[in-house]
Amino acid sequence: MSCVVFRSVVLVILLWCPVVAFAADTVCVECHSGQPGALGEPVAAWRSSVHAAKGISCHDCHGGDPTNFALAMSPERGFIGAPEYDAVPAFCGRCHVGVLDAYLPGMHGQALDAGGAQCVICHGSHSVQKAGLELINENDCSRCHDYDRALEIKESLTGVDTRIKAMDHDLERLHRLGFATDSLASGLFNLRNQFHRIFHGVDVERVRQESGGVQTELDQLASAVEVIDDTLAQRKLWGSIVIALFVLAGVVLVLVRKTYEEEEQG
Amino acid sequence: MQPVKWLVDFIDVRLGVREIYASELKGYLLPPKVNVWYTLGAVLIALFKLQIITGILLLMFYVPDAEKAFASIQYIMNEVPYGWLFRMLHAVGANVIVIALLLHMLSVLFMAGYKGRREFTWLSGFIIFNLTMGLCLTGYLLPWSQLSFWATTVATDAAGAIPVAGEFLVEFLRGGATVGNQTLGRFFALHVVGMPLLLLGLIAVHLFCVKRRGVSSPPFGKEYRASEPQPFFEYEKHQGGIPFFPNYVVKDAAVICFFIAFLLAIIFYAPGMFFPESAFQPADPFLTPPHIKPEWYFLWAYQTLKIFPSEIIGLGVQGLFMTFLALLPFIDCGPERRPAQRPLFMTCYVLGILGFVAISIWGHYS
Repeated sequence: MSCVVFRSVVLVILLWCPVVAFAADTVCVECHSGQPGALGEPVAAWRSSVHAAKGISCHDCHGGDPTNFALAMSPERGFIGAPEYDAVPAFCGRCHVGVLDAYLPGMHGQALDAGGAQCVICHGSHSVQKAGLELINENDCSRCHDYDRALEIKESLTGVDTRIKAMDHDLERLHRLGFATDSLASGLFNLRNQFHRIFHGVDVERVRQESGGVQTELDQLASAVEVIDDTLAQRKLWGSIVIALFVLAGVVLVLVRKTYEEEEQG
Repeated sequence: MQPVKWLVDFIDVRLGVREIYASELKGYLLPPKVNVWYTLGAVLIALFKLQIITGILLLMFYVPDAEKAFASIQYIMNEVPYGWLFRMLHAVGANVIVIALLLHMLSVLFMAGYKGRREFTWLSGFIIFNLTMGLCLTGYLLPWSQLSFWATTVATDAAGAIPVAGEFLVEFLRGGATVGNQTLGRFFALHVVGMPLLLLGLIAVHLFCVKRRGVSSPPFGKEYRASEPQPFFEYEKHQGGIPFFPNYVVKDAAVICFFIAFLLAIIFYAPGMFFPESAFQPADPFLTPPHIKPEWYFLWAYQTLKIFPSEIIGLGVQGLFMTFLALLPFIDCGPERRPAQRPLFMTCYVLGILGFVAISIWGHYS
């Protein structure tokens, strides 16, 4: 458990650390972007992905030396290339630890050897986007099975997902006003990860139970946001009074000036 | 009332303050037709005072170290009682000062207030304007945010376009090859000591010039007569004018109140107006944020550098324009001050304002 927590913390740091977020062109990108077909297509797909936006480049998943053309694909430098179909969950799970933990005992994970859905079936590979509930849809799910169960899961997740998005928006708004929201944002980030883990088990009952826990933690975050919003409302109220006083003082002074003008003309 | 009279008598016997009041305040007469634009000088003095007071309060908590600067600003904004207010008054106040300075300069240009042997007044004011821009630039780096870091990198980079001395200038401004702790140190020293001292001196010179030469009459109305300046020193008297105190001071005070209300309205109702997202992220030399832009009052200069095929031409054009503005009283030295009688000047004036606005908008969206 502590190992999972440690790896999750490392993942959070890696995702948010701006130094790592600097995704300069590596030798992988330089070489592959000029190649035709399947060898070059992943580069264009990756550029528009959430991985590229967060500074996760080719070598972070495929290994190798991103600074050296000769050693870029050297196994000695950790190059592992493209994984086999059933090795994909472990491949992605090196970073997405919690999701892997939830996925493996679930229906998709248990059916992996028999061709059950793994990460890229739903998320795609190089063009992977920020995951959302829209990934659960009739077109995609019914490629393999009936949509009913997936819809049931989606419906039980929608409320929490909407709240997480609204909370994210609120924290961003407060951050733009200079409030230190780092700890709240970090809490929400962990909560979102926890929430995302839940539905990878594709177990309706578990989703319902754990969604309740997420809702409780969201309530705590919402209380903290409410306190800041109350502070803002107080500031605005007192600010409005002070502004009104200055305007009033200005108007009174203009009237005093008028009396002087009458004196000067008379 | 008795204690007040006693106090005034006590001081008057020693310093002759009643005489000063009679000659310099009540007896100091302004032109009878003096308008609201003449209050902008007083507004600027009030705003500069506010900057000094809030700046001192910020200095108590700000740490000029690249490792700690951003955190100290966060601390001021979140932990220090009313720290957010002092910081916002200082940061937003700087923008309001630039607005007031631009209005002051534009009104002087419109009424040709620089004419009639007032070259020193104009020049000292022009240097104050540029020094204020320098204060804004140096102050911009201090929060050590992504915006601070990269805007300063872009601004100091521009100096590199100057032939021969460019590289040296960039290193001189930054204190090294890149913007870093040494840049923060020198910008901090300039922002809190060097430039404010120089500014105070220049404001004193500017006020001395205004007072010594006399305030120019507005060039409007039937009474106005264009007159050739004399080849000797002459104080411009205003017989039958408005006493500075208390008659005109109340007008100054009214406009100051309106400006402070405007400043507070931005702070309480649109606090993010002058702060893009990158202003709230700590500086990261390894992560260049997309679409980094300078403050609105530098957008024209930023875009000018991009319009021309090389930065040196852009810098040259900016230099020529600023030199022209600085030397305007020596170029436009005819006696006529009425806007309607100066069609060439007014065409340039209107086109200049439209050009400034258009290039700034272009810079914002480019």
